[in-house]
Amino acid sequence: MFLTVTTKLLEAFSVNIKIFFITLLFAMPLGMIIAMGSMCKFKPLSFITRVFVWIIRGTPLMLQLILFMYGPGLIFGYTGLSRINAALIAFVINYAAYFSEIYRGGIESISKGQYEAGYALGMSKIQVFFRIVFMQVVKRIVAPMSNEIITLVKDTSLARIIMVVEITQTAQNFVATKAIIWPVFYSGAFYLIFCGILTVLFGYIEKKFDYYRG
Amino acid sequence: MAILEAKNICKNFGKLEVLRGIDIEVNRGEVVAIIGPSGSGKSTFLRCLNKLEQINDGTIIFDGEVIAENGVYANDKVLRKIFKKMGMVFQNFNLFPQKSVIENIIEAPLIVKKEKKEDAITHARKLLNEVGLSDKENAYPCQLSGGQQQRVAIARALAMNPEIMLFDEPTSALDPELTGEVLAVMRKLAAEKNTMIVVTHEMGFAREVASRVIFMDNGVIVEEGTPDEVLSNPKNERTKQFLNRVLK
Ligand SMILES: Nc1ncnc2c1ncn2[C@@H]1O[C@H](COP(=O)(O)OP(=O)(O)O)[C@@H](O)[C@H]1O
Ligand SMILES: [Mg+2]
Repeated sequence: MFLTVTTKLLEAFSVNIKIFFITLLFAMPLGMIIAMGSMCKFKPLSFITRVFVWIIRGTPLMLQLILFMYGPGLIFGYTGLSRINAALIAFVINYAAYFSEIYRGGIESISKGQYEAGYALGMSKIQVFFRIVFMQVVKRIVAPMSNEIITLVKDTSLARIIMVVEITQTAQNFVATKAIIWPVFYSGAFYLIFCGILTVLFGYIEKKFDYYRG
Repeated sequence: MAILEAKNICKNFGKLEVLRGIDIEVNRGEVVAIIGPSGSGKSTFLRCLNKLEQINDGTIIFDGEVIAENGVYANDKVLRKIFKKMGMVFQNFNLFPQKSVIENIIEAPLIVKKEKKEDAITHARKLLNEVGLSDKENAYPCQLSGGQQQRVAIARALAMNPEIMLFDEPTSALDPELTGEVLAVMRKLAAEKNTMIVVTHEMGFAREVASRVIFMDNGVIVEEGTPDEVLSNPKNERTKQFLNRVLK
């Protein structure tokens, strides 16, 4: 029994992990693009971007999952999207919106004086951003990003809403069919270990930036 | 021969007219001190020279090259080439906090001037020696006092071998006991015949070091002359009032 549960949970958790990494891979750069849009001096673009972010952050991820699962078929008659891909799109968009706000906060927290010092030395905008501002922003967003990323680990379970097989649902199935509770604790251990690794990793990154204040 | 010529500089922030036709010429090797009450437009004038603010009208010519003509700046690529030759020192230092002292100094020589790293470091060490901070090259800005940070900022600007140095109240953010070390460095620069424009509230420094003093009020130059003329024998009523207030 233990072996069966272990295999099943591991199998299911690999889906959670897949959602986790693919979401990070795409949401982190997409968040940057959205952040640039929301900070754009061209007002209509920044307005539209901010409305978009407001909608994504202001509605449940669960709702967005349902929309991306059934929306393409019911609205556009497109049924080629698999469950897992629908889930991935919803996760990427949702997390990109959250990341974009963290990026924006980080970028806007850098004082104007840093840019001015760079320009006064003859640097271009691109040089100032990448050589002066960028690493300062990274230092400031490590903590909020690690919070968000650890939330993502647990959010991956929401994919079950559109019948993607993942670990929480798998554990629940054992409860329902075998009348045993311990797979629930067991599945919790998977999350704990994974989040523990991430916590250590982020702690290490934060420490790397400890050498200066500001 | 003037290295910097600013003619009829006008600048407004919305409805607020901050500069109303400023004319200044600076010759090579000259130290020009700009004094005046807070809000009179001194910082804005300096910042317009290197386009940290944009003028609305006027012409700026530096070392024979046009920075702006009749309120229109040259394109950014041309300007960056010119700005390499203008150093600026800010009230709040604006050092790069994530970089060590020496990294702060070599950054622009490396990426703007494309100097070789060894050359940039050798030059930086020489400058650190000049500002009395040789032992701090590996320190980070947050580990330095305000006076030390400002001296690093001066070294950072000097690393580009600028033809002119712009100082915007370089000692105003410092505790009184730290202003001396920064002023001493600036005295040395003046003695070495560096061209400088210094916005300052340090009347003693202006009197001793400046070749010319400009009194600005309300966006115009009210009075201009040698330190003796402006600071000791001001002709204009507003200059007298201002000096009375600050020298008390
Ligand atoms: N970015 C800005 N936006 C709006 N008003 C500004 C800005 N910068 C300066 N001012 C205004 O311009 C005037 C001149 O400012 P400033 O040049 O800093 O004076 P000073 O350096 O002589 O004290 C002040 O009234 C100030 O409030
Ligand atoms: Mg000022």
